[in-house]
Amino acid sequence: MTDVAAAVDRLIGGDKATLARALTAVENAYPHAAELLEALRPHTGCARVVGVTGPPGVGKSTLCNALIREWRTRGHRVGVIAVDPSSPLSGGAVLGDRVRMHEHDQDDFVFIRSLAARTNGGGLAASTAGAIVVLDAAGMDCVLIETVGSGQSQVDIAGVAKTTVVVSAPGFGDEVQALKAGILEIADVLVVNKADLPHAEQTARQLRIMLGLRDAQRWQPPVVMTSGHTGQGVDQLAEALQEHHDSIVTDTPAATQTHTVADLLRKLASEDPYVRHLGIEFITGGSGHASVRMRVQPSHISFNGTCHGGALFSLADAAFGLASNSHGVVAAGIDAHITYPRAVKVGDVLTAGAVEETRSRRFATYRVIVTRSDGATVATFTGTVATVGGARPGAPQ
Amino acid sequence: MHANGDGIPAKVLVTKIGLDGHDRGSRVVAAYLRDAGMEVIYTGPWQQIPAVVALTQEEDVDVVGISSLATDHLIVPKLMRALRDAGLAHVRVVVGGIVPDDEVSMLHENGVSKVFHPGSSREEIVAAVQQLAEQARCERPEI
Ligand SMILES: Nc1nc2c(ncn2[C@@H]2O[C@H](COP(=O)(O)OP(=O)(O)OP(=O)(O)O)[C@@H](O)[C@H]2O)c(=O)[nH]1
Ligand SMILES: [Mg+2]
Repeated sequence: MTDVAAAVDRLIGGDKATLARALTAVENAYPHAAELLEALRPHTGCARVVGVTGPPGVGKSTLCNALIREWRTRGHRVGVIAVDPSSPLSGGAVLGDRVRMHEHDQDDFVFIRSLAARTNGGGLAASTAGAIVVLDAAGMDCVLIETVGSGQSQVDIAGVAKTTVVVSAPGFGDEVQALKAGILEIADVLVVNKADLPHAEQTARQLRIMLGLRDAQRWQPPVVMTSGHTGQGVDQLAEALQEHHDSIVTDTPAATQTHTVADLLRKLASEDPYVRHLGIEFITGGSGHASVRMRVQPSHISFNGTCHGGALFSLADAAFGLASNSHGVVAAGIDAHITYPRAVKVGDVLTAGAVEETRSRRFATYRVIVTRSDGATVATFTGTVATVGGARPGAPQ
Repeated sequence: MHANGDGIPAKVLVTKIGLDGHDRGSRVVAAYLRDAGMEVIYTGPWQQIPAVVALTQEEDVDVVGISSLATDHLIVPKLMRALRDAGLAHVRVVVGGIVPDDEVSMLHENGVSKVFHPGSSREEIVAAVQQLAEQARCERPEI
């Protein structure tokens, strides 16, 4: 009989052998795996889970190696799941990713596990999800998953990772085009790797254009240029991952973080009498972006029987105001324009997402999209602010 | 396809310790094992013993294959001790390459399961590694 409870204690206590065997149990769906995962679940929820995907040879493993190094300098414990394809003929695999991360082999605070995809489609996602639970419970601050960005596996990875990084590189333009639909759906952060090679800028520009085609959402994926070889840009990647992480964390009302940008915005929203009067609720925000939500009340309705344009403007303006005041300096709106392509009714739940488009020392411009809960765009708004004061007291730097 | 009795592919670490850098043999063996349905981690040469132990543990492999064309096999006893000290006594270790006859028994005494000489066939290697992997799985603690 396997003593699951004892194993859980050992795993929580940092025993590497137990961690390794627990991962095997999950990977191979051993009989006690489900019971183990159930017992581990209360110990999870702290790890930030980052999935890295992209075409073969784009430099994912090398980049993971550099990212692990960056995280280690920030004091994080790192767990890695590196997925390699299985041979469709023999079912075997050569698991080559971790060889590129070998500088971390003897680091007690880095645990790397290679997984073969084993051609069983959806099974990969299941065992990866289980492996994340195990590594999270084992106290990893960061869990990094490398997977081959082809077909279903990249979509699966977006399902289990909290932040998905899509890696491209100069010369991989065709692959990127092929991934296009997938990228727009799943990427939280886009990376142009091998930035030490020529034409990286062009690849980055191409990606930004592709991103511009999609509806502004709450989170606009940044495009970060890195080199796994030289390490350039890897700190910016870590920053982008941190920002995306914060943006998810603040979605959870229970989060009681202080000193974050989102906290400042939450506070500003809660202290704004007009925002409160309209019943506008802060959802999330960060540097240069913010989103808010409102349920349309009978008092928002005009004589035409639909939502008053002023109420929609107010909602968009609330997001705009928060996004533009997210940098810790006081900003005031000086111009705005709104378009209402669709009528809105009582009871509709609307979300306004504001994203910074340009920013100079004096001026910044924003784009806000207001959507209904079914995804329909009900208003688009653009606005400009001027920086009118100095640093806001108490704002995070 | 070579899966263990439980239908799960054997997991093997193929590596080289010591100073010799000729890794063609170990590459070929890694490909044999993959083509036989096993999951192989292949590291390339010049691995340090603590790194091999860390990999063996983290990857939870069944068999470690050491390629030795020069005198690298002479440090295998040190590896065997390090594996035992890390609680990995169930892991089977095989050595392949050029090992003088009188040193083969020394390796066996130190716990090496099998020594493959030049000219060992693909079938021989695959069958032996498969069998050893199954033994390791049986002896290994479940969790
Ligand atoms: N110039 C340059 N080459 C790189 C960089 N990163 C990786 N490479 C090279 O690109 C090749 C593939 O690197 P990997 O890190 O294995 O790429 P990968 O995306 O993990 O590959 P798969 O896992 O096989 O899909 C290797 O030859 C690396 O040396 C980089 O930043 N710059
Ligand atoms: Mg890789």
